[in-house]
Amino acid sequence: MRYLLGNRLLTVALFFAMAAPLYPQIPPRPSDARAVSDFASVFTSRERAYLQNALVSFADSTSNQIVIVTVDDMGGLEPAEFAYGIGQQWGVGKEGFDNGIVLLVKPKRHGGKGEVFIAVGYGLEGAIPDVTAKRIVEREMIPHFMENDYYGGVVAALDVLMPLAAGEISSREYEESGDYGPVIMVIFCIIVVALAVAAIRKGGGPTDIGRGGSRSATVADAIFWSTLFGSGGGRGGIGSGGTGGFGGGFGGGFGGGSFGGGGAGGSW
Amino acid sequence: MKMKKGVLAVVIVAALAAIVLIWGVKSYNTLVSKDEHVSQAWAQVENVYQRRADLIPNLVATVKGYAAHESSTLEAVVAARARATQATVDPAGLSSEDIAEFQTAQNELGNAIGRLLVSVERYPDLKANQNFLDLQAQLEGTENRIAVERRNFNQAARDYNTYVRRFPANIVAGMFGFGPKGYFTADEGAETAPVVSFE
Repeated sequence: MRYLLGNRLLTVALFFAMAAPLYPQIPPRPSDARAVSDFASVFTSRERAYLQNALVSFADSTSNQIVIVTVDDMGGLEPAEFAYGIGQQWGVGKEGFDNGIVLLVKPKRHGGKGEVFIAVGYGLEGAIPDVTAKRIVEREMIPHFMENDYYGGVVAALDVLMPLAAGEISSREYEESGDYGPVIMVIFCIIVVALAVAAIRKGGGPTDIGRGGSRSATVADAIFWSTLFGSGGGRGGIGSGGTGGFGGGFGGGFGGGSFGGGGAGGSW
Repeated sequence: MKMKKGVLAVVIVAALAAIVLIWGVKSYNTLVSKDEHVSQAWAQVENVYQRRADLIPNLVATVKGYAAHESSTLEAVVAARARATQATVDPAGLSSEDIAEFQTAQNELGNAIGRLLVSVERYPDLKANQNFLDLQAQLEGTENRIAVERRNFNQAARDYNTYVRRFPANIVAGMFGFGPKGYFTADEGAETAPVVSFE
């Protein structure tokens, strides 16, 4: 009896020792397990809701948890450390699968440097090697970030990260796609223009896509990006999750995934 | 009457002995599992350092193709790699001297890589080489992994050391030869990744 009790106390003590935060600088785990923690307020509330929706439905269909965090201050930590700290302390990804991704963005403000880091959980290191993460940062994110388009950069990154994490495309396919990227873009633009011209000639006026301001623009953008990288009919793509409540977190909360140092970052 | 008293004494002594034994077994088992945890963390540390060492032949070959003049820097990297891979530590011991020695050898390699990456600044063709850029991303990722695993190891070692030193587990630890474990110390060079600035 005494033995059992002692053991239990020890387990409890161990649990607390492990749960104790490694870094006081890192914000506490959000209780609603939200996917987007926009501490630096770089997104509009609508953008936040779209991202949130897309990430939650992606987690529902593939169990991969992707978390987006923006901060103005990392409390003196390196971006990599900060991103792993979030992943580890919040427990992004499912325990045992370690399939979490933390996308950390520190916007370029007040004369400081902009920083971005993609931390990849243990379980996704094979699907998203460091080299691929680096390329996503340099090719998809920083060009948008340089123009202060944080939403665009994050969406462009997600449109690659999601199919990679889901295993729909391989990192090799993504890397090879880069060489044809501009060509595909030009062809795509030509097709879009041709379709638009055809539609107008038919006398039907502007199509649905052309109507209604920024919302459809982001959807069109998302469709464009997902087509470009073959994410397969927008499954889990940004803007495809029209249903489901706004602002909710991941279904079963954060899962306790762990991070071993995979991923890459960059600055501008 | 006298007989009964004797029996009682025996029972009490036996009960006390049983309690001590149970407590000893419990302490011992905890020690073993904490020790095992430290060994596992150490194995991870060695893995990530090995991962870095494995990148070096490719790195050296890539740089050689573009920067033949840097042969002395390249040789320094190769030599440091050889020393670093030889510096193996018995996972049963892991005393602070063992770890300091290991860390010194690994830091030498880290510094040699850092110097190499600085010297290649003079070769724009190399810096534009896709293979080299990939290697650099892999090196950065490896340094990140090293930082993570070193921290994990220090945590495991701290957990173990706290237990070993505290009464009453220290008696059992002394009896069965569970010594304290060393830590990685923070230092420049191994802690920060060798980064090449492109600005």
